[in-house]
Amino acid sequence: MTGTWERCIRLREPLKTRPFLLFAGLAGLGLLIGLYREAVGLGYVTGLNDGYSWGLFKNWNVTALTALGSGGYAVAVLAWIFNEKKFHPIMRTAVLTSLLGYGTGMLALGFDVGRPWNFVFLADPRTWNHYSVLWEVAVCMTAYFMLALDVENMPPFLERMYRSGDPKKKDLSMKFFKFMQRTFPFGIALAFVLPSMHQSSLGSLMYLAGPRVNPLWQTPLLPLLYLLMAYILGFACVLLVLALSAYAWDLGWDAAIMGRLAQVMSWVTMIWLAFRFGDLVYRGVLVNALNFDKFSLYFLLETALILFPALLLLSKAQRETPGALFRLTFLLSLGGLLYRFTPTTLAFSPLGDYHYFPSTAEILMSTGFTALAVAVFLYAVKTFAILPASQGKIAAEEAMRPFDTL
Amino acid sequence: MDVNRREILKALMGGTVAAAVATTGMPVGTAAKPEKFEADPTALGLMYDATKCIGCRACMPACQNANGLTPDVGGSGGLYLQPDTLNAHTKNLIKLYVAEDGHERSFMKQQCMHCADPACVSGCPMEALHKEPNGVVGWTSHLCIGCRYCQVACPFNIPKFEWDKFNPKIVKCELCRHIVGTTESEPACTKVCPTHAVIYGKRGDLLAEAHRRIKAKPGFYFEDHVYGETEAGGTQCLVLSQVDYIHLGLPKLGNQSPAAQTRKVSDFVYRGFLTPVVVYGGIVAIVRNRWKEHLKHAEHGGGEDTHGEEKRA
Repeated sequence: MTGTWERCIRLREPLKTRPFLLFAGLAGLGLLIGLYREAVGLGYVTGLNDGYSWGLFKNWNVTALTALGSGGYAVAVLAWIFNEKKFHPIMRTAVLTSLLGYGTGMLALGFDVGRPWNFVFLADPRTWNHYSVLWEVAVCMTAYFMLALDVENMPPFLERMYRSGDPKKKDLSMKFFKFMQRTFPFGIALAFVLPSMHQSSLGSLMYLAGPRVNPLWQTPLLPLLYLLMAYILGFACVLLVLALSAYAWDLGWDAAIMGRLAQVMSWVTMIWLAFRFGDLVYRGVLVNALNFDKFSLYFLLETALILFPALLLLSKAQRETPGALFRLTFLLSLGGLLYRFTPTTLAFSPLGDYHYFPSTAEILMSTGFTALAVAVFLYAVKTFAILPASQGKIAAEEAMRPFDTL
Repeated sequence: MDVNRREILKALMGGTVAAAVATTGMPVGTAAKPEKFEADPTALGLMYDATKCIGCRACMPACQNANGLTPDVGGSGGLYLQPDTLNAHTKNLIKLYVAEDGHERSFMKQQCMHCADPACVSGCPMEALHKEPNGVVGWTSHLCIGCRYCQVACPFNIPKFEWDKFNPKIVKCELCRHIVGTTESEPACTKVCPTHAVIYGKRGDLLAEAHRRIKAKPGFYFEDHVYGETEAGGTQCLVLSQVDYIHLGLPKLGNQSPAAQTRKVSDFVYRGFLTPVVVYGGIVAIVRNRWKEHLKHAEHGGGEDTHGEEKRA
């Protein structure tokens, strides 16, 4: 598996394969239970209670998994700010993973809130509480999804419209694309500022909970640590998706792109670790890591899963072996997700005698939201030119001018 | 000396963080609010003196009736009002604490503390939870999306949620604001209390009364301290007790409200929304150049010009 990824391709393969049906089925099941939850209330379907009022939906699907959805943001920083041109062929994959990560996160949020219909009052700016971190997350995530991610994901769609043969559609798609080209810098700058804001705010959310979050995690640096972790997990997600796709569809292996992504990811992880441990030492709570209570065990597991893969990925030899790169990135992303999840749930102790473990229905819903993202991904890569490939490997259709400039 | 070193370290740390985040932007907060937060002495509240409470629980059904709540009879097998915690049917609960050795005991009236600077109000995205002009922390139904951030944020774990409802409400004490001032002159619980263990009034007056009681009996109350005078930036519901407040479910909290601490982090990063605007401008400037370069590169390097649509058509 070698090659240089220079172009994007559409896979010419039937959509209804067995994995697709499996993921679509899981998604359908999750959404069905979701409808039931809307009818009967959260209490019957989930394990949530007055002590642990946030569970899998907010803490896992939104707080943890949208960090995986930061791939489009993280890779775009390399491609557009640091001007590393070789990343352009993987941008379509990266922004698609972001669209899906955020899309399912927002879907989960929709099922999690108790009175979603009252969102209509959000249209009235007089109701806004500018000091609410959650308001910032809600508005900023929606804006990112609607103003930036949708637009970033337009080119493959426009290309498909153009190819349809209908002169009207052709004209429209070209007009829209020209408009995109003119406004591109203004749009993509939003795709930097907005995720920076809400990915850090996801950390600030728990800062308001004060001493009820264990001191190994509770710190005013939460926003910074959450933001840096969004970069790490964003890179990890793009790496994992590309590696799995390359394996599944024989796309070739661009060692330069994959190696560089892993290298930058491991560097950011080192910076993250420096802040994480600097903060623990400064606050004088690092000793708690050796209490060997449940918090200390979560902490040690999280740190091991983040530290060792990142250290190994600093080595060129590890990065150049596709198998090692995949396994290490996978472990690192587990550690990263654990870090994003822990302050909200595992390290959160409400007053009083409360316990939380997600119910089966809750787990099925949460899995369903993620399965939906996978199913849509499979649909998208077989409908639009998204995945990168080296020349002439598989039955595929290439992206075309001028759409392939984005 | 030690404090000074801490301050310097803190400032240094802040500088590093600022440098690290200045290029990216961080959490929320727009306008600047004064950081010195003084609890308003005219704000309405309660004072509960646990040493005067006889545990008759008369305030509980009174609260149920005044607020139209369904009695929670679960704990008694359906016989009488017996909630084991505050919940969607219970805004006010008298609990009994008995120490393990059985000697030390105290009642506790659990309910919303009506913080001077409440975390729930600070977190609520659409101001469904808000401070009334008279200081009461109220809840507005149509502005609540049911996100339950108030439950995560409240340091006393007070707001409760109707988990089994299609259109769930947040349930917590609102000091009977729907009847006080119109049909009633005080909340239901203080009205029925036979020993005046809980009294209603302005925070300043209640605090003065609490200190008068402490002064009259030095050493009688736990550490001669009024719980709520300073905790979490001050609360309008004050508690006096002979036993350590921690046994009554009142956590040890700092003098600064969690809301103020969060505002501090937000204001530091956002600088009145200046940071995101500056960062946005900077990125537009960078990306513009990159974009021009990219299009040029695509024209030459790609072998086809950007107007290739005619060719393909």
